[in-house]
Amino acid sequence: MSTVSTMPATGRVSVGGAVFAIALVVLALVPWFTGSTFHFHIAIMVCLAAMASAGLATIAWVGQLSLAHGAFVGIGAYASVLLVTRLGVPFLIALPASAIVAGAVAYLIGKPLLRLCGVYFVLITFALNELFRLVMLEFPSVSGGSSGIAGIPKISLFGIVLEHQPEVYVFTLVMLAFVMALLWTIRNGPLGRRFAAVEENLVLAEASGIPTARTQNAAFVIGSAIAGFTGAIMAHYIGFISPESFAFQLSVSYVIILVTGGRLSLAGPLIGAIFLVPLPEFLRSAQQYQHIIYGVVLILVLRFLPGGLAALPRKLLGSERSGG
Amino acid sequence: MSFLIAQSLVNGVILGTLYLMMAIGFTLVFGVMRIVNFAHGEFYMMGAFAALIGVTWLGLPYALTLALTVAFAILLGALVERVVFRPFRSDELSGMIASLGLAMILQNGALLLFGPDPQAFPSMVSGVFRIGEMIIPKSRSLALGVGVVILVGFYVFLMHTRFGRGLRALVQDQEVAALYGVRPEIVYPLGLGLGIALAAAAGGLMAPLFGVSPFIGATPLLKAFIVVILGGLGSIPGAALAAMLLGLIESFTSSFVSASAADIVTFALVVGVLLVRPSGILGRGES
Amino acid sequence: MKHRAILGAAALLTLLAGTALAQEKTLKIGALVTQSGAGASWGNGMKRAAELAAADANEDGGLDVDGTKYKVEVIAYDDGYKANEAVTAANRLVFEDKVKYIIGTVGSAPILAIQPITEKAGVITMTLGFTSQALSPDKSYTFRPNPTTGEVAQPQIDWLVKNKDIKTVGALFPNDETGEAIAKDIGAAYKNAGAEMTATEFFERNRVDFIPLLTRIVAQGVDAIELDGNSPVTAGQIVQQARDIGFDGVIIRTGGPATQEIVNVAGEDATEGMYVHSAYDPNVETAAAYERRYVDTYGDAMNGFSPFFYDGTKMLLKAIQESGTVDDTKAVKTALENIHDYKGVLGTLNWTGKDTYGIAHQLDSPFYIAKVEGGKEVIVARCTTAGCE
Repeated sequence: MSTVSTMPATGRVSVGGAVFAIALVVLALVPWFTGSTFHFHIAIMVCLAAMASAGLATIAWVGQLSLAHGAFVGIGAYASVLLVTRLGVPFLIALPASAIVAGAVAYLIGKPLLRLCGVYFVLITFALNELFRLVMLEFPSVSGGSSGIAGIPKISLFGIVLEHQPEVYVFTLVMLAFVMALLWTIRNGPLGRRFAAVEENLVLAEASGIPTARTQNAAFVIGSAIAGFTGAIMAHYIGFISPESFAFQLSVSYVIILVTGGRLSLAGPLIGAIFLVPLPEFLRSAQQYQHIIYGVVLILVLRFLPGGLAALPRKLLGSERSGG
Repeated sequence: MSFLIAQSLVNGVILGTLYLMMAIGFTLVFGVMRIVNFAHGEFYMMGAFAALIGVTWLGLPYALTLALTVAFAILLGALVERVVFRPFRSDELSGMIASLGLAMILQNGALLLFGPDPQAFPSMVSGVFRIGEMIIPKSRSLALGVGVVILVGFYVFLMHTRFGRGLRALVQDQEVAALYGVRPEIVYPLGLGLGIALAAAAGGLMAPLFGVSPFIGATPLLKAFIVVILGGLGSIPGAALAAMLLGLIESFTSSFVSASAADIVTFALVVGVLLVRPSGILGRGES
Repeated sequence: MKHRAILGAAALLTLLAGTALAQEKTLKIGALVTQSGAGASWGNGMKRAAELAAADANEDGGLDVDGTKYKVEVIAYDDGYKANEAVTAANRLVFEDKVKYIIGTVGSAPILAIQPITEKAGVITMTLGFTSQALSPDKSYTFRPNPTTGEVAQPQIDWLVKNKDIKTVGALFPNDETGEAIAKDIGAAYKNAGAEMTATEFFERNRVDFIPLLTRIVAQGVDAIELDGNSPVTAGQIVQQARDIGFDGVIIRTGGPATQEIVNVAGEDATEGMYVHSAYDPNVETAAAYERRYVDTYGDAMNGFSPFFYDGTKMLLKAIQESGTVDDTKAVKTALENIHDYKGVLGTLNWTGKDTYGIAHQLDSPFYIAKVEGGKEVIVARCTTAGCE
């Protein structure tokens, strides 16, 4: 998998890449074509989900699956909201700060945590997500308790308040592009090669002199920092947070997006979010159907498309070639 | 005070046994299939609904209903193994994610079928046993009694039948088991069926105590998680020990400190155990 | 050939639908309620209340607003009791469906999350959310048609403390936003009434075993156990387990109509003699008729909050008629505020809450203290916010 995605750009792939890039740009412009405020809102939610899932993907690139991702989104959200409302810090400073706080927490717990792998890591992150929620509930003076914090100020940049959805969308889109560019750079750099080696075969990577523990921790810190970063934007856009907002279900929803999109490719989280976030809108009046569809999609993708939707074109092309 | 301690002890042991019932199927499924089954709680929920349908809709005796529930669950488990889990035998992570999908399908399916409202389940017995100052509710004693019978039955089956030995061999070492002629194509579906049947039996047994609705699966899943992590994934004696520990912790911290303290202590313990001894108190080391 | 026929038929249908739409005006009302996950019982009750009220209006050809007939249409979206989902649904209702009136939300977190959108767009909301923050002078488009603990607790508790000779009370609350708010209100009410809440426990929502907590509370020798703030299932479990461990004092539920569900979970024996808040007097014919209609239409037991939202939606429609506009929500809001002595299915309704919330957007309706006998409510006292007798 990882060899496929880090494959040097041959002619055919770069054509595919160009088509994909054009499709993304066109998709990103859709809300302006329709002019609907609601479509802008959905587009914002797609960007936020893609961003958080990209963070989860970074952790997946070293072969780990975190079920505490929602908690890191929460850490970033609370960090930013508290900085802005309690200390009067401008949002533009609170935003990177929230990423740093989430990353720092990940760094501190990452070392002992990442000695575990496979399902054990999944289980401990599951427990940590619950622990985060319970602890936040215990400190209402910080978290607002179960009543949460309402009336969070909107995103403001250099004194300009982003009141309307289109403005927020532009900002979120730029932030998403920034995160994706960062991850693209990492993937194609030495760190990315180490990630891939660790994912491929931990023992072999260790033997060939790669500091596996440090590599995994780096991925965990970067991924969790991205989660925190997303959380800050989300909190100021939605305007309400409570410990319940960052419960287990949020982590699961990111896992679903990631797995559906493609666990190991860079485009996976984007594709997953574009496909899954608007999906509930077709069944908004009866979400129980929507959850059933999510479940079925998840199992089908796992079964028939383990590389996620991102691997679909290659799979189709591949089978076409072998067929002809 | 000594009364409260004694009562907490009794409460804790009863609760621990109920939690063991909720967890034992989960640990079996992990042991045999290496699947962390997030849908475990939903099978508990289905067991509770099956009991409800048997007792209140069809008017069957409770004991017969439980037996039918178990039989139905074994078949269902075998089917689920065939349709959902079989492709992921060598891939723990994918199997686990698939179980997340399965859980969503089952819970929302139940919501569509039965609606969100809690259903009335007639209580089988009422009143209490008094031993000195101590009080034991009869309803819990019933669940406890039947639960222990099921657990003992399961234990005998596991230790003293040919199939049970095959299952244990598979838990111990899959390759060696295959070498000794344990046939995975039979043992896997039946192993999952058995695990799911234990969850469903727990659901049916606890329906009169804790009620029936599409959302009741969350609690047993969480308890099973805790019990199994503390006891060690796949270790049945470990699960028994951990369930007792969990019951006692909940009972004592709830009675002497506060309810929220109980949850935090439990999760902190889970994280601690995973960090210090990832294989759990009595689990096997990772291979 | 075949394809062309299908295409032709489709075109014809579109044409017909188009002309039909052009002739009939519709008034869209959003129902932003919880339909999946816990909380769906309330959500269904609210959505169906709005639907029944809409059906009333449509029965005689639509709602007559200033000479134009409007067909009332309810657009229901699910929020799953989550703030994020509620914001998405609110965006869709307000900006996509161009809805001016929303029945919802069920939860406190969702209403607080959608208010920045609805208040700014001048969309009138009718929420069930118990949080006191939901109503305030700067949120002038939000109304609450159901009484909360803040309204009903004091008179009921005064009566019970006096008549049942209660001195000490134990209480269990879920550690969520509703539990937190209610614990504060109830504690103060008992204190004012001359009793004391000596044991208060907060627990994690999906807890099912209360015996350790109850053991401690009962060991302190309390006269009564208070259940307000708990979901019907949890309340039922607490009742059952309290009786199981031999508690024979009074069990009280000061708010939240859910007696039927509690009896479902706990059984008739355990609930015998419980004192509950009730908004529903079966002797009031309109209330009984509404329940029958609900059960006949949907085949489910009626959720206790449903009548409030039926009345609330009817009042809203009346306000739209009186203001003579479907678009100017400011005028509708004023007309709604000015409705006095509305004859609803539950009795005579008025707006109150100026003192508590700074804005009179809280509906005041008659309520009762009922004793549970044989699984059914028997009214023992009739109350207003002034007192019970």
